[in-house]
Amino acid sequence: MKKKLIIIGAAIVAAPLIMSFCGFYVSKADGTLKNKTSQVILVRDGNKTVITMYNDFKGDTKDFAMVVPVPVVLRKDQVKVVDQSIFQRLNDYSAPRLVEYWDQNPCNNYPSISEALAGKVAGVQVRSKSSNMDAMKEEKVKVEARYIVGEYDILILSAKESSGLKDWLNENGYKIPENAEEVLEPYIKSNLKFFVVKVNEKEKAKLNNNFLRPIQINFNSPKFMLPIRLGMANADGDQDLVVYAFTRKGRIECTNYRNANIATDKNVPLFVQKNFNSFYGNLFNHQWNNEDKAVAFLEYAWDVSPQNYYHCDPCIATAPSEQDLVQSGVWWLGNKDWSDYSDVDNEEVDNGSKNVHFTRLHFRYNRRSFPQDLQFQVTPNTATFQARYIITHPATGDLSCDAGKKYLQDLKQRRKKELETLTVLTGTNINNWQDDATAKNDEETNAEVQYATLLPQVKSETDDQKSLPAGMIIISAVLLGGAGLMRWKGIV
Amino acid sequence: MFLSPLFKDARYFQIIFQFEFLAYGILSLGWNAEWALYLTYLGVSIGTQLIAETILSRIKNNTYPSAAKIKNGFPSAIISSMGLCLLLKTNELPVAALAAFISIASKYIIRINGKHIFNPSALGIVAAVLLTGKAWISPGQWGSGAVILFSVLCLGFIITTKVQKLDTSIAFLGTFGGLLFIRQVMYLGWPIDFFVQSISTGSLLLFSFFMITDPKTTPNHSIARIVWAILVAAVAFYFATFKFINTAPVWVLVAMQPLVPLLDKLFKAKRFSWMPHNVFTGPKEKTYKAVVIPK
Repeated sequence: MKKKLIIIGAAIVAAPLIMSFCGFYVSKADGTLKNKTSQVILVRDGNKTVITMYNDFKGDTKDFAMVVPVPVVLRKDQVKVVDQSIFQRLNDYSAPRLVEYWDQNPCNNYPSISEALAGKVAGVQVRSKSSNMDAMKEEKVKVEARYIVGEYDILILSAKESSGLKDWLNENGYKIPENAEEVLEPYIKSNLKFFVVKVNEKEKAKLNNNFLRPIQINFNSPKFMLPIRLGMANADGDQDLVVYAFTRKGRIECTNYRNANIATDKNVPLFVQKNFNSFYGNLFNHQWNNEDKAVAFLEYAWDVSPQNYYHCDPCIATAPSEQDLVQSGVWWLGNKDWSDYSDVDNEEVDNGSKNVHFTRLHFRYNRRSFPQDLQFQVTPNTATFQARYIITHPATGDLSCDAGKKYLQDLKQRRKKELETLTVLTGTNINNWQDDATAKNDEETNAEVQYATLLPQVKSETDDQKSLPAGMIIISAVLLGGAGLMRWKGIV
Repeated sequence: MFLSPLFKDARYFQIIFQFEFLAYGILSLGWNAEWALYLTYLGVSIGTQLIAETILSRIKNNTYPSAAKIKNGFPSAIISSMGLCLLLKTNELPVAALAAFISIASKYIIRINGKHIFNPSALGIVAAVLLTGKAWISPGQWGSGAVILFSVLCLGFIITTKVQKLDTSIAFLGTFGGLLFIRQVMYLGWPIDFFVQSISTGSLLLFSFFMITDPKTTPNHSIARIVWAILVAAVAFYFATFKFINTAPVWVLVAMQPLVPLLDKLFKAKRFSWMPHNVFTGPKEKTYKAVVIPK
């Protein structure tokens, strides 16, 4: 078994999409928000990677199939199914958060946000017409391994040429999109294997549940990446991918796309609370457009080591337990003789550290902005980060004293600023928030400082950050021109 | 004109350009401006330079270094520290201080035939990453969107100053890009934008135009320089493609710099100097173009 090339399996959606999307991402301002979100857990230390792919397939499980490029022929003991609920827990815990403060009585209360992640498996999901996995063209496609794990039938294929693989998959009931060949070819030449998954109806029936569990694979490879290109084969637009990563050292970073922090620690109007998902959806979309799309957004980074009790400020959900982390693939926690991974030769010297650093990255990719698969590195950066937005409840009661009047003045300014922040963050016109602002939410507040009153006063402000690069070019041109002129004139 | 002494020395151009890259990162790409980190790099670099010059003078002539000598050392120290600001990330100031110290100290300690071996910034970066494990390089920090800006700045810099050796940059980028093209597009069959994404990262361009070109740590002879740049590119390509080392060029540059004295021996040429020999005393130079002093 060769361990040469290296791509780790993951992401993608192909052919006739038969899964349903049950997300409730709402996009008020524009229609570009997608509720197509893949979720992947990546665990990395040394050369070992564990990848867990969420599966929210909703249709008839007979129709489910998935193809993931992987760097090595995976043995049966390198594949397992894990508890689906860990994705929900990791998402709840690391999601962007809204925090509220009260002007008078700073007692905190953290509304829980469930960000709708309509997860999809990271992998090509293809329709399977029949379960006829046996008919195969041996000459072009080789079945390297075949086994059953949990409710899944698993095949590991290797191929000599992309058309052969495509034909094989089509003949065996996997509908591969027409233009997938463009990607299959480089993958095959990179010596990748193909991890092909279908549901085993007999095993599925024994489980007596109506969902498919996430699949977790682990292997050794120096390359730390997620293949997303296969899923763009018939991509009809933008796809979201949320990566939950765990390492021993610190944050992970994307190395072939730019990393950016999502806007955080912003004071926003009170009424954002009512529609926080929509607010964040707009904010993400706006920032994504502003940053030229080819960006990895950091949404959360924290030390979640079991011995570290201070995991966030504030926490919006229970921290993942040690058990959750082990389920997620953090093999250096728990018992050393954890049998599932004991036979995986880890070349790195195990320093016995129980540190766990959690990074949440959010991508929105499409074929145009993301020509390459995602590559990552583990950095020693242990700085914490969370996407956090703040609402402040005004003081109530009689405010007619001098201090109270001053307070109202300050409050007015503050609320104007909040409205401006809202438009800048989300890129929406201030009028879009008219309904929210005028709805009954702060009628006990003095009329002159109500958002509804202030709204007309705040002009819609478009942020002109875009002019900065242009400004830089102009400055440079002037500098260069000046220097050139001086040189030409013999001054210097 | 009062600016003229400033621009006689091409290093001031380099500082201006490096500063612009930093400003671009902070203003346009939204980097956190880590002033404490930048000041540490700058302060320790200049401090180390001053101390080293003083020690050197005391040993050699039992005097203190002349004002001219000190002044001449400043731009180099600033350039080294700007190189660190642009490439080396760390959350810990002592690590930053160590990197800056090693950068400058190496110029005085690791020398062959009176020429220092290592590119100060590159050595500082490699040393900090290897020795402390608390520093890292972010190859993705520039993205690929800024490629036009980068090209304009880099080419402008070279044309304006003529001091950076374009032959080194072209040999390096040509070899590295050519090999990547053969591998990614011709062999593996990726579409062309896959390849463009690989070579248009700001980190690679910055390396090609500002780091590998340092005239003090590249071979003196132009043929030797080109041979050397091609070697660095080929080895860096190997490690980047087959060993998956993201920041291979910097590592390979440092690892291969001991070859420079050897190449200098094989290809005899005049040594580069930043300043015209007589800049402080002699007649006016019509050009700020650096001149060479006979060995």
